[in-house]
Amino acid sequence: MAGQRRGFFCGSLDHSLSRRGFLGAAAAGAATFATDMTALNVLQQPAFASELKKQQKRVILLWLAGGSSQLETWDPKPGAATGGPFRAIQTAVPGVQISELMPKMAQRMKHTCIVRSLNTKDGDHGGGAKLMMRGRRDEANVQYPDLGAVLAREMGRVDSQVPDYVSFYFATEGRGFAPGSSGFLGARYAPMELTQSMIPENIRRLADINDLDHAERADLRDLLSKQFTQGRVNSTTSSHNEAYQRVRGLMSSEKLFDISQEPQKMRDLYGPTQFGEQVLAARRLIEAGVPFVRVARAWWDSHGQNFETHQEMVPELDHVMATLLDDLEQRGLLEHTLVVTLAEFGRTPGINASLGRDHFASAWSATLSGCGIKGGAVYGKSDPTGNRVVDGQVGAAELFATIYRALGISPTKNYYVGSRPVPLTEPGTKAIDAVLA
Amino acid sequence: MNMLRVRQVLLFLLLVFASRSVIGADEPPPAEKPIGNVVDHFIDLKLKQENITPAPQADDATFIRRLTLDLVGRIPTAAETKAFVESTDPEKRVRLIDRLMASPGFVRHQATEFDTMLMYGTQASIRDYLVQALTENRPWDRIFREVLLPEETDAKQKVAGEFVRKRVNDLDRLTNDVSVVFFGVNISCAQCHDHPKVEDWKQDHFFGMKAFFSRTFDNGGFLAEREAGVVKFRTTEGKDRQARLMFLSGKAIDDASVREMTADEAKKEKDRFEASKKAKTPPPKPTFSARAQLVEMALQPEQREFFARSIVNRIWHRLYGQGLVMPLDQMHSKNPPSHPELLEWLARDTAEHNYDLRRLIRGLVLSKAYSRSSRWQGEDAPAPRLFAVGAVRPLTPMQMAASLQIATAAPGSFPALEKNEEFEKRIENMEASVRGFASSIEQPRDNFQIGVGEALLFSNSDRLQKQFLGDAGDRLLGALKVIKDEKELVEVAVRNIYARNPTEEEIRVLIAYLQKRQDRPIEASRQMLWALLASTEFRFNH
Repeated sequence: MAGQRRGFFCGSLDHSLSRRGFLGAAAAGAATFATDMTALNVLQQPAFASELKKQQKRVILLWLAGGSSQLETWDPKPGAATGGPFRAIQTAVPGVQISELMPKMAQRMKHTCIVRSLNTKDGDHGGGAKLMMRGRRDEANVQYPDLGAVLAREMGRVDSQVPDYVSFYFATEGRGFAPGSSGFLGARYAPMELTQSMIPENIRRLADINDLDHAERADLRDLLSKQFTQGRVNSTTSSHNEAYQRVRGLMSSEKLFDISQEPQKMRDLYGPTQFGEQVLAARRLIEAGVPFVRVARAWWDSHGQNFETHQEMVPELDHVMATLLDDLEQRGLLEHTLVVTLAEFGRTPGINASLGRDHFASAWSATLSGCGIKGGAVYGKSDPTGNRVVDGQVGAAELFATIYRALGISPTKNYYVGSRPVPLTEPGTKAIDAVLA
Repeated sequence: MNMLRVRQVLLFLLLVFASRSVIGADEPPPAEKPIGNVVDHFIDLKLKQENITPAPQADDATFIRRLTLDLVGRIPTAAETKAFVESTDPEKRVRLIDRLMASPGFVRHQATEFDTMLMYGTQASIRDYLVQALTENRPWDRIFREVLLPEETDAKQKVAGEFVRKRVNDLDRLTNDVSVVFFGVNISCAQCHDHPKVEDWKQDHFFGMKAFFSRTFDNGGFLAEREAGVVKFRTTEGKDRQARLMFLSGKAIDDASVREMTADEAKKEKDRFEASKKAKTPPPKPTFSARAQLVEMALQPEQREFFARSIVNRIWHRLYGQGLVMPLDQMHSKNPPSHPELLEWLARDTAEHNYDLRRLIRGLVLSKAYSRSSRWQGEDAPAPRLFAVGAVRPLTPMQMAASLQIATAAPGSFPALEKNEEFEKRIENMEASVRGFASSIEQPRDNFQIGVGEALLFSNSDRLQKQFLGDAGDRLLGALKVIKDEKELVEVAVRNIYARNPTEEEIRVLIAYLQKRQDRPIEASRQMLWALLASTEFRFNH
């Protein structure tokens, strides 16, 4: 059932009915059809724009770069030799406990499911980051697109006025390990990466050209190109003109990145940290229709002083994530927005001589909140010391299949690399049904 | 040798026979016929069968732009275009081809192209080696040999070894990349299972190919190869198997070295390798080199089909925008060529002429099929695989950057064409100055899509402005500044950038654009130049 869902619709009868109406009207309105219906030019159909706004699905990925510790967050082991100094606290969901460092999320567990049984087998920053961004390993000759690129393709619109994959990663630690990558999907779906400034590169008009000239210069370019492409249309020449047609829209989306447009009260809620501000920007972006935003928080790589590191960083994560879920809920966006926490791996239960925890991919946790998710669910189980998975072991592929299903995308959908069909997830991969709404 | 000759003739006769049975009526072209004519023979035959009249030949201005981009990696200067268009020499196209192929730009551009083909995705380059090899017009089989079996005592050849060294830590990748790049087949599916659709590719092929590389490793920056070794794998049925040294054709070599080394042997060998590592010298070569066996086998007349067909298909793809087999790495029985007889003829011809790529390239650009207009006047354009209309291909990063530099240089800033050496030197310097900019442009691949990043870069980055659109005397904008007549100004700009004369409509539109901004003429011209440079016509080779 869920596997048949398409695009940005939830698959309920109401929606498929309205989808039909909407398709008919869109066709009558001579909207642009591209290869699939996610590419419909719906924003130019005002009657349906508001419906779209409600129905379009989005994802915010909170990327905990360096590998946060599952023991100090989602899978505490109080009392075990490996447990560390922090306690576990009861959450709003009976029977579910998380680290005491996350009291705010504890109150909001009804929106969130925890997967505690990831065994991803790669404890290397580079390998792990690639694996967890793409849900699979590259092959010799196939470079896979990452989650953001796939979702940009599945949920974005060809002529979108907003970017369809935005990535905030300001820290230098680990950035090179986890670059956004559109792989074989090509540059069209490559991320707009923000690494230094809250405003994307080349999105602002240079001072020495006025706005009208900038626009008319683009019109002139368009006119010259149209003469040329007569009788010469192919998908690459089209992509060139589509790219330029998106420029002005993207430039006008600059204010989406500008959090000073938010009321001070809202900014105070997210807090003055860089992470908080970027997550607020992410919320502004997805609200405007950006399908995928990653916000990276670095650097969790606590080989030494694990507990100090987590004592400092987990409460920030707790606060910002809780604020985000509240904000999305109040705006009616939470049921259409999936918030994911993920890293390249977790951390060893064993505590090393520097009171640190090392890289650990054998039994760690990720969370999914909001869209398509059975809130409050806990899936899988690690043993009492946290050293291995004892129930519900899953890898990156299963997690990705679950994410796709939660968004109504079939994990078996094929892309084609040359003549070779490449399904979104490896054949035979099972989504975690137990956490899907 | 004589026997070989006889065998080749027999093989050829066999092919001729096979072709005839397919084509029917027309006689196949004889072996000594010029390549361009053979191309047209087969392409036209197919068009006739499909009842399609191809697009007319491109005009001179279009032809020189296409050819200059293909052969030397840049657009022609306005002076080159003018001289070519105005020439009344009936042989001027051939002369142009020969002039460009004799210029140093030809080697530079081919080296860039082959470097991309060989090293894509490795973040390394063997371009220095390729420049040397292509300057001497080394045959493709020799380049293949030097890339896989570099003589590492020779510093120049050691560079070539980067091809293997950059991949040797991932033998699966090395195995597949060699198969893809040199033999046109992607056997990565067969790593985990027999290919689901192509019966040619079994796990035996993947691991058979891997066996040729499995003894190779990086020994302190030099390639080393063990005396013995074996590749084991598990079939999908769960059986454990030992791979033979087996080529893609299925031909295998059985050698006593396909075995595990004893602990003692391994230890002794390791000591030897460690010693050369310390001495920073190439390690001793094995008595039996599995890697060398692959090279020998792939070039044997009975096995060379993969090697010869693949390079022909790749060069064809580069010049015609579409391979005779597509995708380039799917040359197998379930994916036949668009023109099987043509591919066979070219592959045989290339192999028999010493894998001389200059000869192949020259032949391919001499065909009528190469020089057709890229505009289709009728309703639906015929499928690209029919080559009825010229291809429209995105520029590579280096073509794009070099062309931007030439398009925005003042026409009078180039040395006269007659001063050939000075002219070439200037072009070389211009290319060198834009390598940095080239790295901000994406390398086109199959089904290439241009991203919005490029459009934003062009629209709003000051790099374009600073590097190309300044108004100093040696820049185009500087030259336009002193032209009073608007029509002339537009003509100079369009000729420099598009390498053709503007149409009446373009003159009208561009003059109108300038006139609307009479209070700021330099800005107006700069914006006009931008629109021309950012347009689709400039972005593509057509």
